[in-house]
Amino acid sequence: MSLLRTRDISIHFGGIAALDEVDLSIEAGEIVGILGPNGAGKSTLFNVISGFLKPAHGRILYMEEEITHLLPYERVGIGLGRTFQHVRLFRNLTVYENLLAAQHRHLSSGSFAAMLRLPGWRRDEDQAHARVEQILDVVNLRPWRDARPGELSYGTTRFLELAAVLSIKPKVLLLDEPASGIQQKEVEALGPLLKQIRDETGVAILLIEHDMGLLLKTSERIYALDFGKIIAEGTPDEVTANDQVLESYLGRTRRKSTATA
Amino acid sequence: MTTDVLQPVTTQPAEETSSDEKAERPRWRPTRGHLIAAAALIGLAALPIPFGDFGFFVGQYALIYAIIGLSVVVVTGYAGLISLMPYSFAGIGAIIVGVALGSWGWPFWLALPLGAVATVPISILVGISSVRLKGLYLAIATLTFSNALGETFFKWDAATGGAAGWVVERPIVGPIDFSSDISFYVLCLVAVGLLVWMVEGLRTSRTGRAMLAVKDNELEAQALGINVYRTKLVAFVLSGLIAGFGGGLLALLLITVTPSAFQSPLAEATSILLVTLVAIGGMDRAIGPLFGAVALVIQQQVFQGAEFFFAFVGIYAAVVLIVFMMFRPGGIVQAGKRLVEVTKARPALGLAIWAFVLITNVGGAWLFLALS
Amino acid sequence: MITLAAPVTEVTVFGLSSGAVYALIALGLVLIYRTTGVMNFAQWAIGLIALVMYVVLSNLGLPGPVAAAIGMAAAVGGGVLSYRLVFRRISGSGQIIVILISIGIAQFFSSLAAFALGFEQFTRLQPWLPVVDWHIGSVAVRSSEIITAATAIGVAFGFLLWFRLSRTGRALRAVAQNREAAMLAGIDAVRYSSIAWGIGSALGALALLLVLPHTAGEQGGLITVFDVTPFGTLLIPAFGAALVGGLVHLPMALVGGFIFGLSRELLVLAPQPWNNLRSAVAAILIVFLLLLRTERFFASRQELEALGG
Repeated sequence: MSLLRTRDISIHFGGIAALDEVDLSIEAGEIVGILGPNGAGKSTLFNVISGFLKPAHGRILYMEEEITHLLPYERVGIGLGRTFQHVRLFRNLTVYENLLAAQHRHLSSGSFAAMLRLPGWRRDEDQAHARVEQILDVVNLRPWRDARPGELSYGTTRFLELAAVLSIKPKVLLLDEPASGIQQKEVEALGPLLKQIRDETGVAILLIEHDMGLLLKTSERIYALDFGKIIAEGTPDEVTANDQVLESYLGRTRRKSTATA
Repeated sequence: MTTDVLQPVTTQPAEETSSDEKAERPRWRPTRGHLIAAAALIGLAALPIPFGDFGFFVGQYALIYAIIGLSVVVVTGYAGLISLMPYSFAGIGAIIVGVALGSWGWPFWLALPLGAVATVPISILVGISSVRLKGLYLAIATLTFSNALGETFFKWDAATGGAAGWVVERPIVGPIDFSSDISFYVLCLVAVGLLVWMVEGLRTSRTGRAMLAVKDNELEAQALGINVYRTKLVAFVLSGLIAGFGGGLLALLLITVTPSAFQSPLAEATSILLVTLVAIGGMDRAIGPLFGAVALVIQQQVFQGAEFFFAFVGIYAAVVLIVFMMFRPGGIVQAGKRLVEVTKARPALGLAIWAFVLITNVGGAWLFLALS
Repeated sequence: MITLAAPVTEVTVFGLSSGAVYALIALGLVLIYRTTGVMNFAQWAIGLIALVMYVVLSNLGLPGPVAAAIGMAAAVGGGVLSYRLVFRRISGSGQIIVILISIGIAQFFSSLAAFALGFEQFTRLQPWLPVVDWHIGSVAVRSSEIITAATAIGVAFGFLLWFRLSRTGRALRAVAQNREAAMLAGIDAVRYSSIAWGIGSALGALALLLVLPHTAGEQGGLITVFDVTPFGTLLIPAFGAALVGGLVHLPMALVGGFIFGLSRELLVLAPQPWNNLRSAVAAILIVFLLLLRTERFFASRQELEALGG
C-alpha cells in the first residue's frame, strides 16, 4: 500500500494543460525526487497534492483513502506537510512565535478556555512551549529565538521553515526547492540532513529540486516531469540516462514554453 | 541530533505533562505588562474623583468605550480583519438590553448576556462574508452592514421603542445600588479589568496565535493546519460578543437608550472614532483600548461642556492616528515600549520626549480653550 | 389630473440627478484608487472643505458661483496635500494601515468642517444655481435639479473623454497600470498621482456643491449634523457605484452611479412596504455586488493581485 498516490491528475490554466494525467506514488519512508524544467508543472503538482488547487480530473489517495476533496488545513491534519518555493513565514512574529504557531495541530483548547485560563488551556500552553524549546535546541535556532524572519539570513529562514513544517509531525513532506537561494555549503549539508530526518522520523519526502547534485544524491526514486506529463520514472541513474529527459533539458531552450508551473 | 520532538505522531504523547514538568513551570511573576495594566486601572479609578459626578460619568463612558474597543482588538488587531462596525454591534447589545430591561422586565444578569448573544447572528453573517472578502472589500462591506443596520434595525420602532427609546433602571444587587455613580464606575472598572485579562489571555493561546498567523500570512497558516475559515468566524463572533456586552453596559450607563446614536450616519462616525482610538492606543494588545480611552477621557475633561468637543476630539484623534500609523503602527503601546527603551539608554533624551508629549497635550488643550 | 407619467418623470429626473452625483464621487474614487492604489475613504470629507469654504465666503458676500469655485480649489488643495504629505510616504505599508490612515484623513477633514461651522443643528446654505420651478405639461421640475443632472453628467462624460484622449489622461493610465514602468518611461509618477488626487477631490467637491446648497429649493440648502460625519450620506452609494466597475473601471462607475441613483428614487413609486427600502437599497445592492466579486470582470491580473494581497 502506498502512503500517497495520485491518479490521473489533470489541471488546465487558460487552455493549457499544466498537469496532464499525472500518476505518482510514494511509500512510507521513501525519498522521491521530482525533476523537470521550469514551467513543467512541479509546483502546480504540489499545490494540487496539498489542496491549494483543485484538479479538473484525478484523485489523490492517502493511505488508500480519497482525500481529493479535503481542504489544505485538513490535509495537514492527516499528516501532509509542505514548504513553498518562496519562503512563507510569519514576518511579524518572532522565530519562537513562528514555531509556536506551528504547534497548532497538536493543541486542542478553544477560545473560551483561553480567555478564562482554564486548566485545558494551561496544559496546551505548557506542552506547546516545551516542544518549541526543544525544537529550538535541536535545530540550533536558539540564538535567533526572538528575531523576526526579516532579520535572518535566507538560509536560516529556510531552516526555520523546515523546523516549522516538521513541527506538524508529518508522515509525508512535500519540499519545494529547499535548496534554492542558499549557499553551496548549506546545500551540501541539506542532503544528509533530509536523510537523517527520514531515518529518525520515518517521514516520506517528495522533493522538487533544481540542484541536480542534491536531487540525485538524496532521492531513491525520481519522476521526471515536462509539460505537465510524467516522462520518466526510475532510479536516479535510469532517469538521467533517459533520452526524453535529456531532450527536455537540452532541447528546451529552443522550444518556446508558455505553460507556467 | 535527537529528534524525538519531530517524531510523527504514531504514539500518544503520554508523558508530556509529567510531574517533573509541572515542577519546572516557572512561578507566575508579574510582567511589565501586568504592572502597566495595574497602574492604568488604578489611575483610571482615581481619575474622576476630583471631578465629581461629571467625572464619574465621563469615566464610565471611557471605560465602556474601552470595552467596545476590545472587540476591535480581537477582530482587527489579532485576526487582521478590518471591521468598521463595532458600534453597530454595541448598538445591538444596547437595544436588546433596553428591550429586555425596559419592556420585558428581565433582570439585568439575564439581559446583559442576552445583549451580547444577540450579536451572534449578525457576527456570523459578517464572519462568513469575511472569508471571501479581503482587506479593502471587507472594510467596505462592514461599513455597508453598519449602514444597513442603521437604516433598518435601528429605525424599527418595535425594536428601538420608537424615537424615545427604552428607559432602563440600574440594578440593585444586595446592598449595592448601581444607580450611584461610584458603584457603577467600579462595576465598569471590574468589567474592563476582567475583559482585558480575558482578551490578553486569548492572545497567548492556540486560537489567538491562529488569528495572528492568519493576519500575517493566510497561505502559511493553512499550510500549518490552521482552519482559516473558522478562525475568521471565531474572531467576528468573539468581537461581536464583546461589543454587544459593552453596548449593554452603555444602555445601563445612559439609562435612556435612544436609537438615534446607532442610526446612520452617526453610527458609522462613532465606529470610526472607536477604531481610531483603539488604533492610537495599540490595536494588537488588550491594553491598547485603555490608552485610547484615557486619551478620550482627558479630552472630555478638558473640554467639559465645550460644544465642539467632538470636533476637537475628531481633529486631534485623526492627526494622532495618522502620525502614529505612519511611524508607530503599534500605537501608544509600541511607542511607550520604545520610549522606555530610549529613556533607559539615554535618560536625557527620554525625559525630553516625555516633557514634549506632556506640553503639547496640555498646551494644545489650553490653546484651544483660549481660542474658543 | 395627475397622470402616472408625471411622478415617473419627476422621480426619474431625481434619480438621474442623484445618480450623476454619486457617479462624480465614484469617478473620483476610482481615479484615485487606480492611480495611487489608495481607496480614498476621505472623498466625502475632502468635499466638505469645499462646502465650508463656500459657506464662509458666501456669507461674507461673495457671489455664489465664485464662492463655489474657490471652495473647489480648496478641496483640490486638501486632496493634493493629503497625497503629498501622507499617502506618498506610506507606499510600503500594509493594507490595514493605509485604510486606517485614509479613515484618519476622513475624520480629520470632517471634524475640521464641524469645527469651522460651529455647532448648530444645521447650517443654512445659499444656493448658487438658479432655483426656478418649471412646468412641462403636468410635470413639475426644479431648475437646480436639471442643472445638477446636466452638469454632473456633462462633467462625468467630459472627464471620461478627457481621460481617454488627452496626454495627461494617458500618463495617468500609464501610472495606474504599472508605476515602475511609467517612471522608467520618464513619467513623473508623483506629479501625476497628485493630479489624480486633485481631480478626484475636485469631482467629489463638485458633487457636494451641486447637491447640498439646493436641497431646500429657493431657501437653499442645509448642512446637518449628519453631513459633517466622515462618510456623510452619499459616500456609501458612491462606493457602490465604484463597485459596479470593480473599483477600477471608470465608465462602469458612471453607470453604477445611475444604477444607485435610479434604484433609490424609483422605489418611491413602489407599493408599501417596498418603498421603505429606499434608504437601505444602496446597502443591499452593495452586498450583492461584493458577492459578485465584480473586480473579476474589470481588474487586470496585477490589480487583482494587489487587491487580493
